[in-house]
Amino acid sequence: MKLGFKHEWIETNIGLMVVITMLAISVAGMVEIIPLFFIKGTVENVAGPRPYTPLELRGRDIYQDNGCFYCHSQMIRPFRDEELRYGHYSLAAESQYDHPFLWGSERTGPDLARIGGKYSNAWHVQHLIDPRSVVSQSIMPGFPWLATTPLDMSDIGARMKALRDVGVPYALTKQEYEADVKKFGPELAKQYYIPDAQQSMIEQANANDYDGRKNGPITEMDAVVAYLQGLGNQVDWNKVNENQLVKDR
Amino acid sequence: MEWFMWFTKFDHTQPLVLVILVVLFVGISYYVYGSSARGKRIESHKNMIFSDDDDKR
Amino acid sequence: MSSVAAASPYALGADRAAAGVEEYNFDIVKKFTIMTLVWAVVGMSVGVYIASELAWPFLNFGIPYIEFGRFRPVHTTSVILGFGGSALFATSYYIVQRTCQARLISDFAASFTFWGWQACVILADASYMMGHTTSREYAEMEWPLALLILVVWVVYMNLFIGTIMRRKQPHIYVANWFYLAFILAVAILHVFNHLAIPVSMFSMKSYSLFSGVQDAMTQWWYGHNMVGFYLTAAFLGMMYYFVPKQAGRPIYSYRLSIVHFWALAFMYMWVGAHHLHWTALPDWTSTLAATFSILLLMPSWGGMINGIMTLSGAWDKLRTDPVMRFMIVALSFYGMSTFEGPMMALKEVNALSHYTNWTVGHVHSGALGWVAMISFGSLYHLIPKLWNTRLYSVRLAAVHFWLATIGIVLYIVAMWISGITQGLMWRAYDQFGNLQYSFIESVAAIHPFYVMRMIGGVFFLSGVLVMVFNVTMTILQGKREERQALAAGGLAGAGV
Repeated sequence: MKLGFKHEWIETNIGLMVVITMLAISVAGMVEIIPLFFIKGTVENVAGPRPYTPLELRGRDIYQDNGCFYCHSQMIRPFRDEELRYGHYSLAAESQYDHPFLWGSERTGPDLARIGGKYSNAWHVQHLIDPRSVVSQSIMPGFPWLATTPLDMSDIGARMKALRDVGVPYALTKQEYEADVKKFGPELAKQYYIPDAQQSMIEQANANDYDGRKNGPITEMDAVVAYLQGLGNQVDWNKVNENQLVKDR
Repeated sequence: MEWFMWFTKFDHTQPLVLVILVVLFVGISYYVYGSSARGKRIESHKNMIFSDDDDKR
Repeated sequence: MSSVAAASPYALGADRAAAGVEEYNFDIVKKFTIMTLVWAVVGMSVGVYIASELAWPFLNFGIPYIEFGRFRPVHTTSVILGFGGSALFATSYYIVQRTCQARLISDFAASFTFWGWQACVILADASYMMGHTTSREYAEMEWPLALLILVVWVVYMNLFIGTIMRRKQPHIYVANWFYLAFILAVAILHVFNHLAIPVSMFSMKSYSLFSGVQDAMTQWWYGHNMVGFYLTAAFLGMMYYFVPKQAGRPIYSYRLSIVHFWALAFMYMWVGAHHLHWTALPDWTSTLAATFSILLLMPSWGGMINGIMTLSGAWDKLRTDPVMRFMIVALSFYGMSTFEGPMMALKEVNALSHYTNWTVGHVHSGALGWVAMISFGSLYHLIPKLWNTRLYSVRLAAVHFWLATIGIVLYIVAMWISGITQGLMWRAYDQFGNLQYSFIESVAAIHPFYVMRMIGGVFFLSGVLVMVFNVTMTILQGKREERQALAAGGLAGAGV
């Protein structure tokens, strides 16, 4: 049988080859990724998840910079053993403000999605400085410099503005502030108000004294511990309709 | 946008994608293996890498 | 050889053969070849060090710059972009010139890709140690470096396609299709995965455009397709040229290469979501990815069969030629990894294997077994040609082969055992239905295998050091012969 087509057309025409190759490699991305932005239910509608406070945000940045996410996942899968060990399985809604996501891909150490509130501040500080003084068989590196490095607070406004640009509801105007009050309550809304961000950080650090040194300088340790203590305890599970979650998946 | 949402349902996309894939695969396979004359012609290109042999080994 | 050349429609013009000199830009190929070996030593040494940090955590020394979390991307970037990238630049520039019988269209652009790429890798490594990272696996470089990579890549794309457009042959050889798909795909992947808003013009920090589940999907769409197009398609391009060349016989089936090229290009892009099974990603996406992962077995094995069967009828070469052995073992590891991958993409298997060292083992069976071995084989073929001499020692190449093979086996076995141990211990219950083991017990249980993995790495690295010695001697020998030929006088030394 004679066909009109010859593969040699492609083999001898680089332009045609570029176009067809581009087509072949683009289909999948379009079908798989784009719908995620449109389908309702990709991100569950549950109350609780909130943006990070300025101090937590800096803690998260430092957590990233030191590559903690390589060994600690933040994504609990819906299995009985994981729920016994770590708590309720993770929802997409819980990372809706995470730019970037930090779900991780390995558990060289345990999952941290719900580490918040499980240990005291003092435990975290000691564990971060010298892990094996707390857990003798741990293979985690020590991060002693966190406790001695003063926290750089100078660019917190710029950081929050960048996040605001990508959709996190940090407030730059009074109007946005009022919207935050409605959505997250007055105390958090105050934290999300960018012009006062530095003051908010100092207040949160001093009020909670994460690094255990009253009146000392605010360190990177303050920020990291603040971040860890806020992880995974935002959703009020009594108010969540579990059947709806199952339907959404 | 209604037509677009149709594609967001896995129940729709899976058979669609599989049909496209099978048609393409059968098409390409038929093309390359369907005729021995065509096959010979295609295979002739594999020798081209030796046409540039100035090896002095 | 001359009779074959005359009979072929691709016969080399006699005038050009006579002109000989400066027909191709081999200088750029030489530069990238040498950097391939430099980055192999750097990247794999860092790999051995971070493997040791997991076995003996005191090696972190409380120093921020070499702490595991900052040092790991130095390893991955040095081996993937540094070693793998330099190998791909070197071989693609060599192959595109030889199969198109045309010189690269611009020496300046070629030089720019060399210095630009090396700068990217060095600066990226330094920035991770300083604590700057996007936290996206295999795309950790922050926005200024991501932009630099993009610029280099666009120049590379221009150079590659431009050289093909200037070809003296009507036909574009199959190896070039694979390099082309690799260049195009990496461009798309890199751009979309690096979409981010910088904190300021003078800050390294940026926040990704997407969040949560969409961000995760974008990252693993990138992550797996870097494996698919960078670590697979491109190295298949290498295979399609160097395996037939080294074997001295054409590729097994050109028709098979057409089928598996298009199947690979179309199907790889679907499977990234298998890195996110059982997460908050919608079920349909991950099921789709699992389906395609299984289908992907076919084109992958198409490539393997095509490579291995090239040797059909000349199997004795495996005994006598260690270079051939590198290539065939690489293809075998490729076949094995592309079988293991789809298995791990099954949701039931993934439930056990995900988050464990099994994944690390799988990556390395591909990275060491396929990518590194095919590169070594190709370089052993390429280097004597570039410096116009013989390989200094075939014996040492054989030594390298065994060191590398033993290293890989130790590595993979250690990671299999420890991965499955982790998976089983995490989900074990006692008779009362409580979890049987605490997390730290699983960490302690796999300590011996961390040590074993580190030893595997040392074997592999020593093999590379043997190669570096062998290659250095080969280059020196080539230069000495060139000098002698020149001294012997006449035009004899001026030949290619």
